[in-house]
Amino acid sequence: MKRIVNLNVNGRQVEDVVADSLLLVDYLRDRQGLTGAKKGCDGGECGACTVLVDGRPRLACITLAASVDGAKIETIEGQAKNGRLSALQRAFHENLGTQCGFCTPGMIMAAEGLLKSNSDPTEDQIKTALGGNLCRCTGYVKIIRSVQLAARATAEATQ
Amino acid sequence: MNKTIGKPVPLIDGVEKVTGKALYTADLDGREALVGRILRSPVSHGKIRRIDTTKAGALPGVMAVVTGDDCDMTYGVIPIAMNEYPMAREKVRYRGEPIAAVAALDAETAEQALALIEVVIDELPAVYTSAEARAADASQLHEKKPGNLERDVHHSFGDIAQGFAAADLVREEVFDCAEINHAQMEPHAALAEYDPERERLTLHSVTQVPFYVHLTLARCLGMDSSRVRVVKPFVGGGFGARTETLNFEIIAALLARKVGGKVMMQLTREESFLTHRGRPQTQVKLKLGLTKAGKITGVECEVTMAGGAYAGYGLVTILYAGALLHGIYDVPNVKYDGYRVYTNTPPCGAMRGHGTVDVRHAFECLLDRMAGELGLDPFALRRANLLAAPMFTANDLMINSYGLDECLDKVEAASGWAERRGKLPAGSGLGMACSHYVSGAAKPVHWTGEPHAVVSMKLDFDGSVTVLTGASDIGQGSTTIVALAAAEVLSIDLNRVRVVTNDSVITPKDNGSYSSRVTFMVGNAAIEAAKELRAKLVAAAAKKLEVSPEEIECEGESFFIRGAEQSVLPFHDVAIAALAEEGTITVKGTFTTPKEAQGGRHRGGAVGSTMGFSYAAQVVEVSIDEDTGQISVEKVWAALDCGFAINPLAVEGQIEGSVWMGLGQGLSEETVYQDGLPVHAGLMDYRFPTIAESPPIDVQIVESIDPLGPFGAKEAGEGALSGFPPALVNAVADALGLEVNFLPVTPDRVLAALMKYRRALAKKQSKKEAGK
Amino acid sequence: MSEVMPDFQLARPTTLDEAVVALATPEARIIAGGTDLNVQLRMGLAAPATLVDLSLISALKTLESSTSGTRIGAGVTLADLASDERVAAYYPAITEAAALVAGPTHREVATLGGNLCLDTRCLYYNQSHWWRKSNDYCLKYQGDICHVAPKGNRCRAAYSGDLAPALMVHDARLEIIGPDGIRQVMLADFYREDGADYIDLKPGEMVTAAVLPPPKGPSGYRKIRVRGAVDFPLAGVAVEAEETKDGKRFTIALTGTNSCPIMVDMPDVLTDDPNAFFANLNKAVQKAVSPQRTTTIAPHYRRLSIAAMAARLARELV
Repeated sequence: MKRIVNLNVNGRQVEDVVADSLLLVDYLRDRQGLTGAKKGCDGGECGACTVLVDGRPRLACITLAASVDGAKIETIEGQAKNGRLSALQRAFHENLGTQCGFCTPGMIMAAEGLLKSNSDPTEDQIKTALGGNLCRCTGYVKIIRSVQLAARATAEATQ
Repeated sequence: MNKTIGKPVPLIDGVEKVTGKALYTADLDGREALVGRILRSPVSHGKIRRIDTTKAGALPGVMAVVTGDDCDMTYGVIPIAMNEYPMAREKVRYRGEPIAAVAALDAETAEQALALIEVVIDELPAVYTSAEARAADASQLHEKKPGNLERDVHHSFGDIAQGFAAADLVREEVFDCAEINHAQMEPHAALAEYDPERERLTLHSVTQVPFYVHLTLARCLGMDSSRVRVVKPFVGGGFGARTETLNFEIIAALLARKVGGKVMMQLTREESFLTHRGRPQTQVKLKLGLTKAGKITGVECEVTMAGGAYAGYGLVTILYAGALLHGIYDVPNVKYDGYRVYTNTPPCGAMRGHGTVDVRHAFECLLDRMAGELGLDPFALRRANLLAAPMFTANDLMINSYGLDECLDKVEAASGWAERRGKLPAGSGLGMACSHYVSGAAKPVHWTGEPHAVVSMKLDFDGSVTVLTGASDIGQGSTTIVALAAAEVLSIDLNRVRVVTNDSVITPKDNGSYSSRVTFMVGNAAIEAAKELRAKLVAAAAKKLEVSPEEIECEGESFFIRGAEQSVLPFHDVAIAALAEEGTITVKGTFTTPKEAQGGRHRGGAVGSTMGFSYAAQVVEVSIDEDTGQISVEKVWAALDCGFAINPLAVEGQIEGSVWMGLGQGLSEETVYQDGLPVHAGLMDYRFPTIAESPPIDVQIVESIDPLGPFGAKEAGEGALSGFPPALVNAVADALGLEVNFLPVTPDRVLAALMKYRRALAKKQSKKEAGK
Repeated sequence: MSEVMPDFQLARPTTLDEAVVALATPEARIIAGGTDLNVQLRMGLAAPATLVDLSLISALKTLESSTSGTRIGAGVTLADLASDERVAAYYPAITEAAALVAGPTHREVATLGGNLCLDTRCLYYNQSHWWRKSNDYCLKYQGDICHVAPKGNRCRAAYSGDLAPALMVHDARLEIIGPDGIRQVMLADFYREDGADYIDLKPGEMVTAAVLPPPKGPSGYRKIRVRGAVDFPLAGVAVEAEETKDGKRFTIALTGTNSCPIMVDMPDVLTDDPNAFFANLNKAVQKAVSPQRTTTIAPHYRRLSIAAMAARLARELV
């Protein structure tokens, strides 16, 4: 079965025909060319595919594209504005919150979801919010630091 | 004075990674590509009686089917031990071994096609552990390998009998360390394209070693290597998983050639686990002799590794395990016996800390226990055995720099060891351990006589410097190191430098990213290339300023006469002047390992040989829930001697990452097979740590300035790993009095051991009371 | 081998009546958050003709609390459940259990109903099609024998939902809607000890809400797992402590140890010798559970650790 879905992907309104069984991650990667969301596992285990659906983090690899009809989807590709990095992107880049980079898009989107609802998270809150995002390079030390520094930079910029 | 290096710098390819623009193999344009899928053996061991692909081939949408008949060339990373086919021929030796593969228009069709391939296998008995494999009546995996013994190694240095005779305390223990896997975040993938008109093959893959992949493709496809092109896009981690050619890379190429087109092969996470190449299950029997003062007098070590079904890197792994008993402490008398065994499980290979981790674990645990018996502090015991560089070890490993003493001082102070050890609340404890690792293998596995590393640099009309390197950045930051070396030597902005990597038609050959060789070797080659380019620029500046080149200084993107700073020429002007002489300037630098670094003359003496070792010490603090056996690692203090930190930010990241990977091996990681079927083949069941239980890691960098290292640098990405598991187990002993000889220390094992320990303790107590 | 999603039709009802109609079609299955089912679909563990997506039914998403009790819609997400202040005040075990399920991103969409109906798990079952086929499948799906207990006559897969014990100690009832209308059942009676047939949900039925009486006392939930996030419970325990006229009385429920969540009978009240009492409680839990080799972690460990955890939690509630 196929259906028409209306999505807002990184600010752009799209109308598309999708199979009912199409996963959001495959829709974004194969149909929209947004390969930032990664497939790191066989379903729901690693967080590398995390995107925001209506502002909340979502595992695109176990989400049906048809089930987010009408939603606003934000991916890593939409985070920079006019080529300028978002606070989280900048913090991850400058503080080595990314090494191989494969978990990074999902990690940043999960952190973005956190900062949207809690602009000044504690270390424990960061650990809780990123609990489902696995990284094999960093030991998470600089990831936590990147999120903390991004939150601080955002607070300073809005003061 | 250093201008660019020695300061923390973000990775120069970091922007791509944080914006999602970094393209990994599975992200490449696969619109025209067929979908490649592999059929895998359902049994552990058997003779292939029949493979019938007729029905699969006839299915509409199936464009090609290949089997073992399509490639009769073996492959393997060690030229003398190539015993693997990309798809099984005659026999299968592990569950998950590729048998056939299809290329189809879409994934659904490919899957249907796999189901239509008829395979008949006569099952043979299988062996899964070293003990089973070495049993008298064991089923044999390979012809000419009786007893399933892939390789045994016997080394002896000094006089072991005399060594133990001189000891005041001799102890022997057996340690069992589980098999583990790299579990890099990016599952395996390859994109192969074959152009039948010009008979050329292009492969994009997740590899750490494009050069070896290139050679293997030419070999297995019977192609002239000039018709092969290998490109490495962004790679999502490796840790050794990809330091040899892997079956899916060859299979993708075979399919592409058969269809005369493009095939995208993306492996599932389960298949990535089936491809394995991780650290083997290892048993270490270790005997140490110490004097009362803690001086090591003798080391006797027997190592047995269950290596999986094929040779792979096995020979090197079993040699490393013995060779790196040396090089960290003063050990004059050493006897080593190593046994690498075939089992019906996915082949093992190289993994971060290759060959050394489990042996170091045994060594550091036993040292700690003997320190206790001798009433010595663990730090004092290590300090009693330090080396004095420069020197050569008993097995002829060259050591020119040695910062272990400083590492010990740093972590001892930072952790508050002296004040806190023994004074923590019940169930809490501190443990420590030391470790080391090579900065590049001084002799490559594929010996050609060529320089170990070559870097090219191009300077052109626009004033930009382009560095061409075959060094494979897999997230460790090697591309940034190369750029930093160029910027430092040429005294130019980092942004003026662009680095082009890993395309065999463009970049010079490089052996790849393994054995922590890149910073040392490629770094040195980059420095040499940059120096040659600088000489040309200095000559041009001298000519323009009408002085001799010796009078020219180069700093801050400009050239000037020493002492006459008013006569400044900007970099671009000098570049144009230099180009006027010869047009576009291309230079190259190389690095060749010195002969004295290449190890002893004994058989296998090349393995372990290197230009310099990194050294690390760490302290681990734990608290243990005695009801559940759950260990919480509260904090880690680590110090590593990396010679010189060219990019301290990246060095910190490497130390944190390697300590943490040791944490995973120590706490929770292991592969588990059920009759050869992996029960761990997903990220729920292969339990590497999440952010929740990952501790803060306090990192300190020690700089011993190695005389041969680039700017004095040595490796930084592996040395700290092997110190973690023993420091953890030593901390558990400090916390509970419980000494365990297994890895990982999962809660179930800890609780079982703790109960046994308590029962024994109670028995002893009651005996004692009865005796009163 | 691959991971192709099966072809199915997605029905997206907006009312309960529409959902019941959609569920009446042949081989229809419910999908709520999809955090478990979509993984199973990718692994070839199900091939439904129709998936009935409940996410648009607003009637399932309400959480109402009054002096007479609390009603939690089956569609309430675990994230919302974990952050609800009323639930935290009255039923802390539920808050704690909800916050410990899987990872935070799962909890954003995973629902109470989905967690209560969570499929049982086993190392022989939660595997790829290639894996299961290579192992001749198993009793739970497409096969004939249970590899955990080959001589037994039932599937031993472990029930692994975190929420069920937390609701059970608070005497939750379930509201179920189906072709025959609405019925209620005690949550403790909803489950049965058979991994392949573990819940009492007839074809066409779905859970609409959990209904809780006012709390009798404080409660908590603890979970045994190897890692600090993501992992399913190797075992989990909820305890509620009630002050009766005879003394403190404990209600205990467990998950992860059997093919269904189980209640432990603790008829005695806390005595003057708490050490002996909690040692007995520990023993009672050990006796009640029967963990099997459904995970790589030894059953004996799961028994011992969860019993110790139950006793510790009970002590904390005193």
